[in-house]
Parts: sequence; C-alpha cells; structure tokens
Amino acid sequence: MAKNITIFTTNTCAYCGMVKKWLSAKGMHYEEVNLDQHPERQAEALEISGALTVPVTVVTKEDDSKEVVVGYNLAKLAPAVA
Amino acid sequence: MAEEQKHQVVMIGAGPASLAAAVYTTREDIETLLFEKGVIGGLAAITDWVDNYPGFPKGLAGLDLAESLRQQAERFGAKIELGEVMSIKDEGTYKRLATTSGDILAEAVLIATGSDYKKLGIPGEQEYYGRGVHYCATCDGAFYRDKHLVVVGGGNSAVQESLFLTKFASKIDLLVRSELRASEVLIHELEKHKDKITVHTNVTTDEIVGKDSKVEKVVGTDTKTGKKREFPTDGVFVFIGLDPNTGFLADSGVELDELRLVKTDVNLQTSMPGVFAAGDVRSGATMQIASAVGEGATAALMIRKYLEDAHQTHEMPAVPATVNAE
Repeated sequence: MAKNITIFTTNTCAYCGMVKKWLSAKGMHYEEVNLDQHPERQAEALEISGALTVPVTVVTKEDDSKEVVVGYNLAKLAPAVA
Repeated sequence: MAEEQKHQVVMIGAGPASLAAAVYTTREDIETLLFEKGVIGGLAAITDWVDNYPGFPKGLAGLDLAESLRQQAERFGAKIELGEVMSIKDEGTYKRLATTSGDILAEAVLIATGSDYKKLGIPGEQEYYGRGVHYCATCDGAFYRDKHLVVVGGGNSAVQESLFLTKFASKIDLLVRSELRASEVLIHELEKHKDKITVHTNVTTDEIVGKDSKVEKVVGTDTKTGKKREFPTDGVFVFIGLDPNTGFLADSGVELDELRLVKTDVNLQTSMPGVFAAGDVRSGATMQIASAVGEGATAALMIRKYLEDAHQTHEMPAVPATVNAE
C-alpha cells in the first residue's frame, strides 16, 4: 500500500499526464514536482531514477521503503502502488 | 467460467485515427471500446507543436490536440481502457482479443496502433537509453538546459523537435544521413535558428560514446569524403522515421506488407473480415495526423456497414452489448 506518491513531471510531457490520469482513476493522491517550474530539483530526479527523463514516480510504502518507476509503465506502476 | 465481455467495436490504440473513428461510431450509438497501452493521442500527443492540422490557423500543441480528440470521443460515449491487446483471433462472428484485462470479444475491430520512433541500432544507443539517448523531446528536453545536443534525422520530426529543443539547449548539431527532407516551412524556421542549430548533411550516425554513465560524443561518417566525424554532446535525440506497432499481429492471420504495415482493401478492411485498420499503422498511410483522422472517419463508416450486413446475415441482436464496468 502506498503511503505517499511523488511524480516528477514537465509541462510538455504527455506520458506524465498519463501517469497522473491513471493514478487519479484509481483514486490515488500524489504530489507533483514540475521540473519546468522547479528546475533546481532536476538533479534530485536524476539521482532518484538514474535517468534523464520524466515521468519519474516515487512510491513510498507504509514501511517507508521506496519504489521508483521511470516512464509510463503500468506493468511496474500497478504493483508499485498496490 | 465467466462469459467474456462482448463489444460491438473494439479499437486497438487511442491515437487520432481511432479517436476520430470513435466519434463517428459512438454518435451512431455503436458501442465502442478503445484500448491504449501508451499515451492517449499517440505520437501526436508527444509532438511539441502541430502546424499543419487544418482548422487551427495558428497551430496547436500536440498534447492539446490529443486532449481535444479524447474529449470529443468521450463526449459521445467512447470508453478508453488503459491496457494492451496482445493478440487477435478470428472466431467468425466475433473476434477474440487477448488483453491485459483478460479476453474480450468484438464484432468488429479497428487496428489503429500507429507507430513508434525507429531506433538507430548502433553501439551505445541501448546502453545510454534514458541517460543521454532519447526519442521524446517534449518529455526529456528540459534536462538539457544550456547543454549541447545532437539530433539525428532529416525529416519533419527531426527538424520540428530540434526547433523545440532550442528552448533548452545552447547548441544543437543536426545529423542528416543524406539531405534534409523536411517541409519548406520548417527549413525556413531552421534558418532562423542557425545561431543554435548546425545542420550536417551526408553524415551517418555510427556510434554513441560515453563514459561513467554519461554520453560524451557521437561518432559519424561523412559519406562524401568517407572521413570520420565526431560531435561532442551531452545528449542525443533520435527522429529517423517510424516503426509500425504490429508485433501483436504475428500469427494472427492479418496480412502485413514488407514494412510490417497492415494491408487493407479500399474499404480499409484487413485480410481478416470485420477487422479494419487506419492511421500510421496502415500500409499506404501518409503518416499525417490529418490523414489519420480522415482514415478513422472512413473506417468508422465501413465498420457501420459491416455491422449492418453482419446483423442481417447472422440475425445478431442489435446490441447494446456488454459495456465495461467503470
């Protein structure tokens, strides 16, 4: 069960919209970090994901362990938030 | 065992072709379900700016066009499910589709799975994918503020996305294997950005070289002189054409051409009766959003006729069939 979900996005990223849409359809709340508005947090996104891409979804579990999903990848996102 | 859900029409893919088709089918009360494994709106949604879609004199963002198409289709009752269709099988009256949500049955099917950007298939490409090698400028361009980029390709997409990337990058080397094939309008725009974009024609892209998980340069060959060229860079964006999304049709019996595009007749019907194709995935498609939308409308009308004929022949109940529970 996810305790907290954070998504790193940009304004023009269609895949980011798909992740948000999918989470909303599941009734899940998330915090969005828009890297166009907060370019100072790009390094954080890179460090977490190891990738120069968005969306990056960080799922914090009840036991505070974290799972990182890079891209719009339902095969990984669905079990991560389950 | 639970009975499979039956649908009048299932559209595989939710890009411009099927969203347009869904507007037509649902307006005629033909129950329609779309499956999308990627982005609603397809490649159009990840295109920075669309300047040649009729009716929008100032152009519009691809993402906005995709969203408008989705809203219009849903307004008339189209359902979009986020999931994947893995295979299709002809069972006569119904087609059986294996999906990530289980098997479903459809009286008619529209294949509109479009295409994805082609890969170069060179050393370093896979190794640095997502960490310096990219296929989506609108997704990943923001990571290259004040950086140096290489863009590979000479068509409309490569030029359009290079122009978009000038918002971030300080310098762009555009590597073109032969000559530029972009529209005159885009080439004119390119001229306006020559302070940032340098075009290198007749240069192949041979290898992406990096160190410590970071791309450092692209190595190519000047095809006129045969000399090696090196382009120092922080990242590479690749736009060299399209690959059709037809892998799920292997062994289905739906005929493909030599480029793995779906063959259709003049009614946009494939070799499998009741299965139609439209948009970028169709053999003979012109890979334009406007044509995809037109083909979607045509396919919808052909599907309507097919269903009418089928109902007369098989005396099938005139639906509504089972609709997915929300």
